[in-house]
Amino acid sequence: MAEFGPATRALLAGGGVNGHDDRALAQRICQACIKGLDIDGAAISLLTASVARETLWASDPVAELLEDLQFSLNEGACMQAAATGSPVLVPDLGEGTEMARWPIFASAVSERTPVRALFALPLQWGVTNLGVLDLYRTAPGALSKSQWRDALSAADMGALMLLHLRTDPGGIVSSHDGLERAWMNPSLGLHRAEIHQATGMVLVQLGVSAAEALARMRAHAFSQQRLLLEVAQDVVNRRLVFSEDMA
Amino acid sequence: MSQSASREPMVSRALVSLADTLVDDYDIIDMLDRLVGYSVELLAADAAGLLLADPRGQLHLAAASSEDAGLMELMQLQAEQGPCVDCYTTKTPVSVPDLSKAADRWPRFVAAVAEQGAYASVHAIPLRLRSEAIGALNLLHRTPGSLPDEDLALGQALADMATIGILSERAIRRSEVVNEQLQTALSSRVIIEQAKGVLAQHSGLSMDAAFNQLRGYARAHNLRLSEVARQLAERRLDPARTTTPATRTERANPG
Repeated sequence: MAEFGPATRALLAGGGVNGHDDRALAQRICQACIKGLDIDGAAISLLTASVARETLWASDPVAELLEDLQFSLNEGACMQAAATGSPVLVPDLGEGTEMARWPIFASAVSERTPVRALFALPLQWGVTNLGVLDLYRTAPGALSKSQWRDALSAADMGALMLLHLRTDPGGIVSSHDGLERAWMNPSLGLHRAEIHQATGMVLVQLGVSAAEALARMRAHAFSQQRLLLEVAQDVVNRRLVFSEDMA
Repeated sequence: MSQSASREPMVSRALVSLADTLVDDYDIIDMLDRLVGYSVELLAADAAGLLLADPRGQLHLAAASSEDAGLMELMQLQAEQGPCVDCYTTKTPVSVPDLSKAADRWPRFVAAVAEQGAYASVHAIPLRLRSEAIGALNLLHRTPGSLPDEDLALGQALADMATIGILSERAIRRSEVVNEQLQTALSSRVIIEQAKGVLAQHSGLSMDAAFNQLRGYARAHNLRLSEVARQLAERRLDPARTTTPATRTERANPG
């Protein structure tokens, strides 16, 4: 619909997603945001319930410290974004209401860093949490409407890229062109309800996580040379049941 | 017709019940689900859906009066083309009293409606926030015809209610809340779809029945709809435990 903003364009300009290096991908997502948005630094951390907290990449020592502070204080924008799955936007950390949300974190940030604005965007696909993208700026102020749109779109795209790495059946997406065609093109329906419904059905059929269920559907689509959406529709219409011994 | 007089108690009940859902830490999806249910009852619609825009202006289904596959298909189609998109972009209601005459305007949508043969007229009412629109309330009727002005006004009141629900009282202090809440509603919806799949597979249900079971369990246990959905999709809640019979009377007779 609307055109991509500069951050999303910068992210796509990097071409396809190869291999299994999620740190390199985290770096690419952060750098695209720094390039395209009015922010000073960025980091991506993984903080799911099952996985240990871990910063995948941070653009500079301030971004790194922001992540460390949240981990050790166990509160902050990024922690909240991870826990609730909702974006958390703090245009001015010095403002009273924001301080009240995380009193310890807000005072630690103002004492130890020059950060004044913080935007935490969860990278997720349904219940699958792929990390949190933290953006910061040393000057206070909200993101403009077009920047917000761009930031969310880059986060969406980044989440899909990370999801792709985790569920890749093997080398289908090696070029930018392939990435768009096979995975991110909205007309292919990754946002269609059937994909999510089928994910829920397959995770019960196989007794696995949502991410694993998606990986199995993608592998099947790949081996049968079909679209993921078609496979999902077969699952929902009960024409296809996944079992352990399936490819 | 004395429709408006007989409708009054129903309207008050709906507004009280919706206001009741706007307590601390409420579940947006649950609130929108109730609101869509009331829209059908109060406006004598045969189906209704509520679509919200993501930051790129792309519409997504957030709640529907039935999770029946045919209706879901029409709603998903309308995210791309149809009265809802036009209503959202123009920020004004779009009335289509006779869909069969609208094929030039929305060829794919009208073809899909014709194929299903279930609906003859469509009305879309914007969810407005200041000078912007954040989504649209979509009403579908089996018979052709315009919506009386009075119904249109009531529909707009329900749409405004949805907007208020999305904003929540915190928005008065923080303008960021709208953006945060819209994203939350959209991502909760994905989790609801995953949970419907879990129940559909576990209990051999249709997606519509799966949603009713999910909603019935959440309401019977006074839990947030999206939290129950999350627990199911993360396999932290045994689907077998949600098979308590759903009480649909709650919606018609709240409190």
